[in-house]
Amino acid sequence: MLGAFVRAFRTPDLRRKLLFSLAIMAIFRAGSFIPTPGVDYGNVQQCVDPIGTGATQDVLSLVNLFSGGSLLQLSVFALGIMPYITASIIVQLLRVVIPRFEALHKEGQSGTAVLTQYTRYLTIGLAILQATTIVTVARTGQLFPDCAVATEVIPNQSIPTLLLMIMTMTAGTGLIMWLGELITERGVGNGMSLLIFTAIAASFPGGVQQIATSNNGIGKVILFLAISALVIVLVVFVEQSQRRIPVQYAKRMVGRRTYGGSSTYIPIKINMSGVIPVIFASSLLALPALAAQFSEDQTTGWVQWIAVNLLDPGATVYLAAYGILIIFFAYFYTSITFNPDEVADNMKRYGGFIPGIRAGRPTAEYLQFVISRITAAGALYLAFVAMIPSIAFKFMEVNQVMAFGGASVLIVVSVGLETVKQIDSQLQQRHYEGFLR
Amino acid sequence: MGALTIVLQVLLVITSFLLIMTILMHKGKGGGLSDMFGGGLSASIGSSGVAERNLNRITVGTAIVWIVVIVLLGLVQRVSL
Repeated sequence: MLGAFVRAFRTPDLRRKLLFSLAIMAIFRAGSFIPTPGVDYGNVQQCVDPIGTGATQDVLSLVNLFSGGSLLQLSVFALGIMPYITASIIVQLLRVVIPRFEALHKEGQSGTAVLTQYTRYLTIGLAILQATTIVTVARTGQLFPDCAVATEVIPNQSIPTLLLMIMTMTAGTGLIMWLGELITERGVGNGMSLLIFTAIAASFPGGVQQIATSNNGIGKVILFLAISALVIVLVVFVEQSQRRIPVQYAKRMVGRRTYGGSSTYIPIKINMSGVIPVIFASSLLALPALAAQFSEDQTTGWVQWIAVNLLDPGATVYLAAYGILIIFFAYFYTSITFNPDEVADNMKRYGGFIPGIRAGRPTAEYLQFVISRITAAGALYLAFVAMIPSIAFKFMEVNQVMAFGGASVLIVVSVGLETVKQIDSQLQQRHYEGFLR
Repeated sequence: MGALTIVLQVLLVITSFLLIMTILMHKGKGGGLSDMFGGGLSASIGSSGVAERNLNRITVGTAIVWIVVIVLLGLVQRVSL
C-alpha cells in the first residue's frame, strides 16, 4: 500500500497530476477563508463560533457542510459547488421532460458537451439566485438567529454594497466550477467530487472535537468512532460489489481480420445511483424548513409542525420521509442513467448477446428485471446508511453532528474509492502494482 | 468611503464580470453528474489549443486580480474601522 504511494510519486506524469490536484484543493480551502467585501469579519466569527461548537442544528448545516463551513463565514466561496450540483441535477432531470435534451444526450460526445455548457450557464444563474438569498438572509440577521450581533454582520446595508456582495459570490462560484474542471482535465479524478470531498473532509476534525467536548464521556466517543468505522467498512464493501451479467460476442470477419468472439460482462453495481439520492432527498427536505424560516409569525400551526417534525433529524416523520425519498430517487436516478433498451440495442448492433436470452426486446426486458431487483437492495442500503447515524445518535442521546452523517460518510468514501481507482489505473498503465488488490 | 475604496469596488465589479465571462467561455470538461460519484471511466483526452491556452492565461490573471482586490478591500475596511 505505502509502496504504491511511493511508486505513484516516482512516476513523473502521475506526480505532476497529483500535485496539481492537491494545489487546486489548497486554493479552494484558502478561498473559503477570504471574507466577502461588505461583511464584518469580526462579527461573523463571533456568530459562527457557537454554531461550530454548540448544539445548534438548523437547515443550513448540511449546505454549510457541503461548502466546507464557508457558507456561514460568508466567504467569497460561500456557495461552494452546491449551485453546480443543483444545476447538473436539474439538467439531468430535464432530459425526461425536454425532448431536445434527450436528443442531445443520445448524440454522444458533442451532445454531452452542449449539455455541459447548459449546466454551466444554469450554474451561474442559480449562483446569482442563491447568493441573493444568502445575502438577504444575512442582512436581516436570520442567518444567525441566536446571535446578538446578527444584524451587524453586514454593516453597510446600502443597495450597491449588497449587489457587490452578490456579484462577488457569483464570481466565486464560477471560479470554483473552473477549479473543479481543471482538476478533471489535468489532475486525478473528477474535480467536482474531489472539491466536495475536500469540503466535507475539512469539517471532520471540528466534528470530532465537537463530539469530544459536548458529550463528556470517553466511552461514547469511542463507541461513536467505532460506529463510524463500521459504516465506512460497510460502504466500501457495498460500493465495490456488482453483479456481472455475462455477454458473449459473436465472431465477425471484417476484411481479413476477426473481431469479437470474446466473452465479457456488464457490471451492474448494487448502488448505481451513488450518493445522488441522498443529496437530493436532504435538499428537498430542507425546503419546507426554509419556507418556515421566512414565515412572519413563528407561532403559526404549520410552522410549529415543521419545526417539530422536519427540523429535527431524529424525528420519526423526518426519518420516514427521508427514507422514502431516498428510495424513490434511487429508482428514479437509476432509470435515468441506465437505459436497458439502449444497452440491448447497442449489444445487438455489435453482435453481442446474453447467453440464454434472445437479442433485442427480451434482452432489454431481462436487463430491466435485473436492474429493478438490484436497485431494490441498493435503495434500501442507501436509506439504511443515510439513517444509521441519525438513529444511533438518537439512542446514544448524543447531539447529531453533521460531519458524520450518512450522506457525508457516503460521499467521502465513494469519492475516495473512485479517485484511488483512477490513480490505480494510471499506475497499471505502466505495469505497476496498484493500491487495490 | 475613501477614493481608494471606490476604485477597488469598481475594479471588483469589472473583474467579477470578466471572471464569470471568461469561465463561461471555456469548454466544459466537467462531464456532469453521471461520472461524478462513481460513474463510468470516461478518460477525458483533450489537448487544449492555442486559443484555450490563452483563455486559461486570461482567466488565471483575472482570478488573481479578483482575489487581490477582495483582500485589499478587506484590509481597507479593517483599517478604516
